[in-house]
Amino acid sequence: MDFVKSIAIAASGLRAQAGRMRVISENLANADSTAQTPGGDPFRRKIATFTSQVDRSLDARTVALGPVRTDPSDFITKHEPGHPAADANGNIKRPNINPLIEMNDMREAQRSYEANINVIGATRRMIQRTLDILKV
Amino acid sequence: MPISELPIFSMLRTRMQWHQERQQVLAENVSNANTPNFKPRDLAPFDATRLQPASSLAVARTSATHLAGSTTGPVQFQLDRGGAFEIRPAGNGVSLEDEMLKVAANQMEYQAATALYSRGLGLIKTALGRR
Repeated sequence: MDFVKSIAIAASGLRAQAGRMRVISENLANADSTAQTPGGDPFRRKIATFTSQVDRSLDARTVALGPVRTDPSDFITKHEPGHPAADANGNIKRPNINPLIEMNDMREAQRSYEANINVIGATRRMIQRTLDILKV
Repeated sequence: MPISELPIFSMLRTRMQWHQERQQVLAENVSNANTPNFKPRDLAPFDATRLQPASSLAVARTSATHLAGSTTGPVQFQLDRGGAFEIRPAGNGVSLEDEMLKVAANQMEYQAATALYSRGLGLIKTALGRR
């Protein structure tokens, strides 16, 4: 049935957005994770990627979470000589995470998730209407 | 003649198929709302006078006593790859607001078609005199 397909496609969107949310929460949780050893590298920001793929059993273009990449941008350096992870000059490297960007990403993921939920709700109501024909 | 072959019912059935197919295309658009280089699609507006039946094989009758099979196969609906309203830097052209509007309209029109279908069935029942 075609309506079940629509729900399955929207569900693939839900899964992908939930996976993205997981990556974002990882970033936010590790926003202060510095290295364990002096002069070492701290936590590197992760980025979730999406790919559109053709699902052969559904005969439709669903979405899937692609490989999780790391953000190659520079770490934020801070002068903090007392810190256990500080190098010889007293500088420490902090993760390249900007909480503002993460919050924005989170909002976008939330919005897309809600849109997919909306599609599932509309499809469900359409199935209900089809079944209502039986009640004549 | 089966009930589903009556002109009003066969037309409403085609219309409902069109809505089903459109719902699927819209679901694709929404689920790919954040996929880079994804272009949204839609079905061409429904036009009952310009439907092309999908190539279907006719049922062979090897004996004169066989019942004639139904010859109306599924219809093929045209895809509309019309330009997106705006394309974001990542190459994605899905506008969630637009898609939500289309999903709601699709649902309402489908509801109208099913309501007409049950009204048609009610008419037949009235004609049969069971009410």
